Amino acid sequence: MGRQRSILAFIVVLAIAAIVVLVKVPIRLGLDLQGGSQITLQVKTTEAVPQITPEKLDGVKRVVENRINGLGVSEAVVQTVGENQLLVQLPGVSDPAQAERVLGGTAQLDFRQQRPGTEAQLSIEYQVLRGLLQEQAALSQGNDQEAIQKNREAIDRSNQAIAGLFDKTGFTGDSLRNAYPQPLSQAGNSWEVVLEFNDKGAEQFAQLTKNVAGTGRSLGIFLDEQLLSAPVVDARYAETGITGGTASISGNFDTQSANDLAVQLRGGALPVPVEVVENRTVGATLGQDSIQRSIYAGVAGLLLVLVFMVVYYRLPGLIADIALLLYALFTLAIFDLLGVTLTLPGIAGFILSIGMAVDANVLIFERTREELKAGKTLYRSVESGFYRAFSSILDSNVTSLIACAALFWLGAGLVRGFALTLALGVGVSMFTALTCSRTLLLLALTLPSLRKPNWYCPNLSASPSLQAEKTS
Amino acid sequence: MTLKVIQQRSIWWAISGAVILAGLIAMLISWQQFGAPLRPSLDFVGGTRLQLERDCSQPNACAEPIDPAKVRQVLDSQNLANSSIQIVGQDGQAVSLRTSFLSPDQRAQLQDALSQELGAFDPQKTQIDTVGPTVGRQLFTSGLLALMLSFVGIMVYVGFRFQPDFAVFAIVALFHDVLVTAGVFAILGLVLGIEVDSLFIVALLTIVGFSVNDTVVIYDRIRETKQIDGDRSINEIVDDAVNQTLARSINTTLTALLPLTAIFFLGGDTLKYFALALIIGFTAGAYSSIFIASTMLAWWRVRSERSVSATPLEGN
Repeated sequence: MGRQRSILAFIVVLAIAAIVVLVKVPIRLGLDLQGGSQITLQVKTTEAVPQITPEKLDGVKRVVENRINGLGVSEAVVQTVGENQLLVQLPGVSDPAQAERVLGGTAQLDFRQQRPGTEAQLSIEYQVLRGLLQEQAALSQGNDQEAIQKNREAIDRSNQAIAGLFDKTGFTGDSLRNAYPQPLSQAGNSWEVVLEFNDKGAEQFAQLTKNVAGTGRSLGIFLDEQLLSAPVVDARYAETGITGGTASISGNFDTQSANDLAVQLRGGALPVPVEVVENRTVGATLGQDSIQRSIYAGVAGLLLVLVFMVVYYRLPGLIADIALLLYALFTLAIFDLLGVTLTLPGIAGFILSIGMAVDANVLIFERTREELKAGKTLYRSVESGFYRAFSSILDSNVTSLIACAALFWLGAGLVRGFALTLALGVGVSMFTALTCSRTLLLLALTLPSLRKPNWYCPNLSASPSLQAEKTS
Repeated sequence: MTLKVIQQRSIWWAISGAVILAGLIAMLISWQQFGAPLRPSLDFVGGTRLQLERDCSQPNACAEPIDPAKVRQVLDSQNLANSSIQIVGQDGQAVSLRTSFLSPDQRAQLQDALSQELGAFDPQKTQIDTVGPTVGRQLFTSGLLALMLSFVGIMVYVGFRFQPDFAVFAIVALFHDVLVTAGVFAILGLVLGIEVDSLFIVALLTIVGFSVNDTVVIYDRIRETKQIDGDRSINEIVDDAVNQTLARSINTTLTALLPLTAIFFLGGDTLKYFALALIIGFTAGAYSSIFIASTMLAWWRVRSERSVSATPLEGN
């Protein structure tokens, strides 16, 4: 009995440790419970970048991280998924529109120089573009999708025509040190974006402005191949260019769009375009509701199983119940220690595993009853119940784990949480249902007052004590 | 109580066959209606679901429930006439919309238009699910692949622990459980409009992992009895094994069904049909382990033994 006692002491220590862990470390909740936004970005190939290499994806990831930091979301997580996707988790964000806008744009900033002899052409093209943009604004109030689409195509053509009037200079947003929005005037809602260059950028900017100063030609500031503004540089800069390393772009910005652009520019340009392909957002209040509901469901489920076990299996059932409570305690503590993020399906997996964790005990107790009915003594019946049920328990748990592994390797975020919680549950239940309940049951057998076969198997036909004498 | 599973096997097989047939017919009808055997949610086909609830902290904002006609008007004006509208929440203060896939801009536009018409919404109670069509397909194929993989894994394990024909009939029983569950949801999709989402695939995988347990326990008992008493006929051995493990099969299924019932009634909308799928699948799993896998195994063994003895040349 000494061995049983030391195992019991071990279990008690584990239980206390588990309680301490649960009290000290709060369980991490998934975005569907704490509220937040989960956005999947698809990285797209272009003609220049026909294949997404891991390095490219990493580059995109860094830029996305920078932009999210610019948004000021705390504890955001960016992960690469597969070969061409990024998963962005934004805790506490219930209106993901800004994040989606900011993450979506490539923000390729490019300074270009107007070709000589195109002055007249540029002003005409610029007029055309303005007209089209005004028309677009008017159309978007209405519902004529066809007209909107047509107009959009016209805008694209116009943008291309304008881009054809400029020469690339190799001076891009890479040389930016900072970008921030600034109001143009005190009164109106008109904003500009101020650019600060690093040393190399300042030099390039000075050179570029020197080239066009006083010529009447403009320098073109392009964002994603679209002309944002085309300022003309005054002749007095013809000698030195504009020095000091700052510039500003003004082009119809309001507070929000100026801020979005500044965030994008600060974060750097994306080497390839990305697209938001999935968005799962849950408001914090809804998450709270889900937690509340799953606590009710979990407690109700646990109680039902506890009652069933006692009613059906009597004393061993009671011991299985203790093992089951230990199971719930240990499993939650392990979630906590491993940093498992608990999602709603994960909670469902946990609640379900409560019902499945007693499986091993059911197997053992059924076997014990059979042995008792076959006339063995109580102690031997319990022992062989554990011994002979083991191979069934092992087989059934391994098959469960196989299904969990398939879920885990191939499933996406949501599914994985479920697979992991279920698999951990299977592992822990092996320990509680075998070691814990066996120890407790054998200890119970040492107490003479608890050694009543009827408490193990109701309606034993013959007097078991007589049979016990016969067999032993 | 003893069950004569072998003797009555034609009854058990007929019951399963009838349920599966009904399911298959429902799947065929679904195929004609939605181009898929089950009514797919946006997880698989892509789309946007928006759930918005009014901000009731403003005075008079929630004086009356949301009028679906107004919502319909807004959707029509956004060229989203082909969307479904559901008024949900307490006192009809929330609305759930299912539209085609919306880009962030389109969605923002829709939300603005809706709040102009219906009043401000509480962002803390907003739920957005947007899935691009390609992502949906990805989810679907990876789910199916996971299902196949678990079938193969279980087949290899059972074949290794027992014998190849044991494994084959364990898989037959699993197909049975998956078909019954899918069939019932095909019917539910047609009758009540219930959709299957990625959690449904999770449910199927869990059913597979759980239901094979019962089968394995019965197999285990068949193997044990055969080792002790190998001369008895396979029919008797199977009958005994099923009866000896019957209480266990029923009780483990029951203990798993108890918390699932709690989730179904108390767990909220997201988990409701997930729990239902598991309840159906686990029940089918217990049934198939007791009545299908074991009886088919016995039937197969008797048949193959007969064919062995019918060819005496092959003997010693």
